[in-house]
Amino acid sequence: MLRSVAALVNKTSKVLVCNSGYSSTLFVNGAFGPAINTIALRQQQTMPVVDSNNPLPKKSASPFGRNQPNMVEWSIARLDDLLNWGRKGSIWPLTFGLACCAVEMMHIAAPRYDMDRYGVVFRASPRQADVIIVAGTLTNKMAPALRKVYDQMPEPRWVISMGSCANGGGYYHYSYSVVRGCDRIIPVDIYVPGCPPTAEALMYGVLQLQKKVKRMKTLQMWYRK
Amino acid sequence: MAKYLGLDRLGKIFQIIRQSGGIKNAYMKLYRFDDLKVGTLVGTDKYGNRYYENPYYFYGRNRWVEYADHLNLEYDGSQIPADWYGWMHYKTDLPPIRDGSRPKYKWMADHSENLSGTKEQYMPYSTTPPKVQAWDPKKSK
Repeated sequence: MLRSVAALVNKTSKVLVCNSGYSSTLFVNGAFGPAINTIALRQQQTMPVVDSNNPLPKKSASPFGRNQPNMVEWSIARLDDLLNWGRKGSIWPLTFGLACCAVEMMHIAAPRYDMDRYGVVFRASPRQADVIIVAGTLTNKMAPALRKVYDQMPEPRWVISMGSCANGGGYYHYSYSVVRGCDRIIPVDIYVPGCPPTAEALMYGVLQLQKKVKRMKTLQMWYRK
Repeated sequence: MAKYLGLDRLGKIFQIIRQSGGIKNAYMKLYRFDDLKVGTLVGTDKYGNRYYENPYYFYGRNRWVEYADHLNLEYDGSQIPADWYGWMHYKTDLPPIRDGSRPKYKWMADHSENLSGTKEQYMPYSTTPPKVQAWDPKKSK
């Protein structure tokens, strides 16, 4: 507990502004240490407060930034931006509805949430899908099928684990026939909590995946090698 | 008559452009939010997000937020603080600036956005032994 608070205080103080008198050096050991550190943690401000007189610097649209060591790296970073823009704008999920979560997965395709506006269109074939949404309880019997379908997907591929059953077994964690989380079978990028998660939560998960795709350094890694 | 022919939409476009502050600003707004709407400014939170409402639009789309300018394209639903969350989700019709009955205690923490994917993200420590036994090439059998 103490260590985690200390880590949090140390980490946040670098980027965030403390609105009270507390500074990053406040972290105290001793009998009252935990209490004081908790207060410091509560006093800290986690999102910057906007003052209309001196506006904050605008965040860059690119996660790699404009400052690159040389012209070649700058161009490759921009090419990466272009590639990521294309990828995040057309994430096609493979439907892997296993249980009641699948109903919520259908809801994000329906007009109210309308995933098509983000370029997310259900694709029934794994060979043309970018992301697999594991929606529901993964049983032992289904696990080989999931792995096979995942292996058929082309790179780059992502996985969204939807609902507590897919995240870690959930309600059926102690069942004899259930896999305790689909991350035991395939690598998961986004975990969406809930039982079942609302369509809004899944939509948010898709948006988080878009953010993750935006940070991909495909060409930059190739160039560095 | 103009309403039946849909000519009032034309006036609406000019109204939207006027409210956004010119053609360039309207274009930037469209670029940032993929949406151009006209509405009344209900309030602003301390993080710089602006909240709008217009009952002309269908329920579910009649309340919206324009995130703070410095965020540019890095906006996220979790940047809406808890006091505005209820209004945005139709839990209440009273925005926090007009609702005087909301509790305000000293221990209430400041809002923090979802930090997943950044260096400040929450990482729980594992309480279970590792599932994978790594191969150590130096170790002899």
